[in-house]
Amino acid sequence: MATDGNAERPLFSAVSNSARQLFLLLRCISFAPKAQVQITQKGLRFSAEESQVMQGLVFLEKSLFTSYTYTKPVNENIDDDDDEDTFPIFQISLSSLLETLQIFGINDIKDRSTNHEASYGANGAFARGGAASAFETRFLGMTGMCRLSYAADGDPLRITLEETGVTTNCELTTFEPEFREEILLQRENLAQKIIMRASWLHDAINELSSTSPSRLTIAASPSAPYFTLSSNGPLGSAMVEFSKDPQLLETFQVPSRTVNTYKYSLIKSASRAMEIASKVSIRCDEQGVLSLQFMIEVEGGGVSFVDFRFVPYLSQDDEGDEEGDTVEDVGSE
Amino acid sequence: MAHALSFALSDEGVVRIHDALICLAKFGEQVSLEARHDRLTLAALNSSKTAYASFCLDKTTFFQNYHYSPSEAQSQRAEAEAEPRFTCQLYNKALLSVFKGRLADNRERGTAVERCEVHVQDEPDNVECRFVVKMICRHGVIKTYKLTFEPVEVIHALFDKQNAKNKWKIESNVLRTFIEYFGAGTELLDIYSEEGRVTLTSYTEKVINDMDILKHPLRTSIAIDTLDFEEFIVEEKLRIGITVKDFKAIVTHAERLKTSVTAMYSYPTRPMQLAYGEHGMLCEFTLVTIGEYRGGSATPAPTNTRSLSRTESEQRRSQQASQQPEPVPSDPSSRQSSVHAQTLKQRATADMPPPVEPASRSFIKDIERQRPLRPTPPPPKASLDPESLFLPADNMEDENVWDERSYEDEQDVLGWNPHANRESFSQSFHSFRQDQETTPENLRAEPEDRDMRVPPTQKLSDIRGMFDED
Repeated sequence: MATDGNAERPLFSAVSNSARQLFLLLRCISFAPKAQVQITQKGLRFSAEESQVMQGLVFLEKSLFTSYTYTKPVNENIDDDDDEDTFPIFQISLSSLLETLQIFGINDIKDRSTNHEASYGANGAFARGGAASAFETRFLGMTGMCRLSYAADGDPLRITLEETGVTTNCELTTFEPEFREEILLQRENLAQKIIMRASWLHDAINELSSTSPSRLTIAASPSAPYFTLSSNGPLGSAMVEFSKDPQLLETFQVPSRTVNTYKYSLIKSASRAMEIASKVSIRCDEQGVLSLQFMIEVEGGGVSFVDFRFVPYLSQDDEGDEEGDTVEDVGSE
Repeated sequence: MAHALSFALSDEGVVRIHDALICLAKFGEQVSLEARHDRLTLAALNSSKTAYASFCLDKTTFFQNYHYSPSEAQSQRAEAEAEPRFTCQLYNKALLSVFKGRLADNRERGTAVERCEVHVQDEPDNVECRFVVKMICRHGVIKTYKLTFEPVEVIHALFDKQNAKNKWKIESNVLRTFIEYFGAGTELLDIYSEEGRVTLTSYTEKVINDMDILKHPLRTSIAIDTLDFEEFIVEEKLRIGITVKDFKAIVTHAERLKTSVTAMYSYPTRPMQLAYGEHGMLCEFTLVTIGEYRGGSATPAPTNTRSLSRTESEQRRSQQASQQPEPVPSDPSSRQSSVHAQTLKQRATADMPPPVEPASRSFIKDIERQRPLRPTPPPPKASLDPESLFLPADNMEDENVWDERSYEDEQDVLGWNPHANRESFSQSFHSFRQDQETTPENLRAEPEDRDMRVPPTQKLSDIRGMFDED
């Protein structure tokens, strides 16, 4: 197995043609400084967490990479392949990872208006010094090559970026994982499921920011008003109400009225995903756990999903509930 | 449900309200709102009470519908006043975020505002008093805002249009191009007109420490031909100062409405009003002005003569004959006529319209002085007097407003003395006429005088000396 190199074959290695794509997806969960990475056979699972009441999850599917190899650790003879625990899991600094991925400059679509002469791009040395838009890979017909590899447990995550002859090597220290459980959404007990355009949700969330609120109340009801987001602030209150128009709410499955309150700033921190996603599925189970699943169209026609989970504030009638108390404690900090 | 006040706006109305709010935000943090049966006024007064901005929205043209039904308390109060009104004050910040720019980017996204409905919950039996704004968007998205408001008495600045003899009117986009040249650090704007040219000078004297941008007082002057104005009736050599910030705010908004701005003022230290209107929105700004009214350098504006016919003014002159030679007018109209009386003595034909050409206007110039070849820099002076624009009124007509100070008593303080002028004028006038025969070149050099003699701009001795050499 071992090649002529200094080590055995790495545990994991993958090559992507577009560092930008990875960057845009991972940036959605950049609300936390660190992210937990789990390497599986199907892809890379990045998750970030905030105060145990919010989780963001990005799954970088195998298909996003041009090559993806995961080699099971050979020295550990564990039979049960499907056990998730066998997959390597570690934490890395998300901000450092994002910094690395954009080392050659990644621009938002808006900034791409200035098209400098492509001739500059031939000289890769210039690419490092600012003026990133000139070296936008799309214009030059080449993409930022990105190789990720993880040799073995405890090793750093190695990232190699290549663009027009310039290679950047990065080693990101990996940390022990801190949390393992995810906020559980009871899929079989959904109280609401609404699918709509992500930009509309984004618009509504921004609209409410005018009151500088601390809490956001989401209410869904089988009768009018069907779906409302509302907030309160020192200067007044604001409410955005959506009708049941199928053009507006693609899917609307609400068997009975549900009202839940969440911390506004947390929901707001999912804005990046709302910006770039095309659709969002807003689900909520009977306990009020909110799931926002964003569908993001990726370069080359596929879709990726970014998932957020939120724990609600304890509502009045739930008071005294054991689980609720812990939630309230965290929420009111 | 009947509300004290309710109105509806189109999507364009929302944008206009937003524009107005942006402008008001440059004056004060709070916006006061006054509703009457036929109009709604949004107004702001700045913290130093030197500038007042108001946007009067017409019931029929600006709103899709508008309804104001005064409550009992308001009706009772109205007995003391002219008509019932509802007044309150809101934070501009809150309003701005409600009316924020929605037109451009949201239209593509499909949730553009189609209609805006506003009502005020202010019933005595309602616990929650709120200013409720409902934005009704496409696809049935409704955004509702309930803003808290503060019930206050709204005050307005009064402006005495009768006595504001100086008036000019100009396209807002012309002014817009000019204000771009005013330095960011400049504070004061000086408006000066002379010989058919208007000079706008933005300047500052304050050197702000720890800021590299403004090490030295900065001054930008822009000269405009009076022909660029749609209307220009201003006393020659009148210098008046306002603040650059206010002016910029006004011009920026006026430009959004693509309309012409009219300025009216009497003389420095008295308020100036800038006004314009379009689409059922009347915008009025009352600003404190600074500057010195130099009695020696400026005689009464020729425009004064326009308001009175000859016979009328002669009657008044005879009435005032007993008061001569030192008339101290007690009210504006009598002051005006006495001014006119002075003018009449100087001129053979009083019915002539006020001169428009700058050359003719030199008639009123101070003949004792040499005419400066270039506009002099603005007189650095006179910090803003917060009391000069808004003062509590003693006698009120119909509303609780602040009136301007009566300046008539201060006439002498301002050094406005037509008498001395006249004497000196006629003296030199006579000597000038005598001189004409001996120096025909000089006469030709003078502009066409339209039956009105133009005083010399140089000392006679100088002129004579020049021709002696020939």
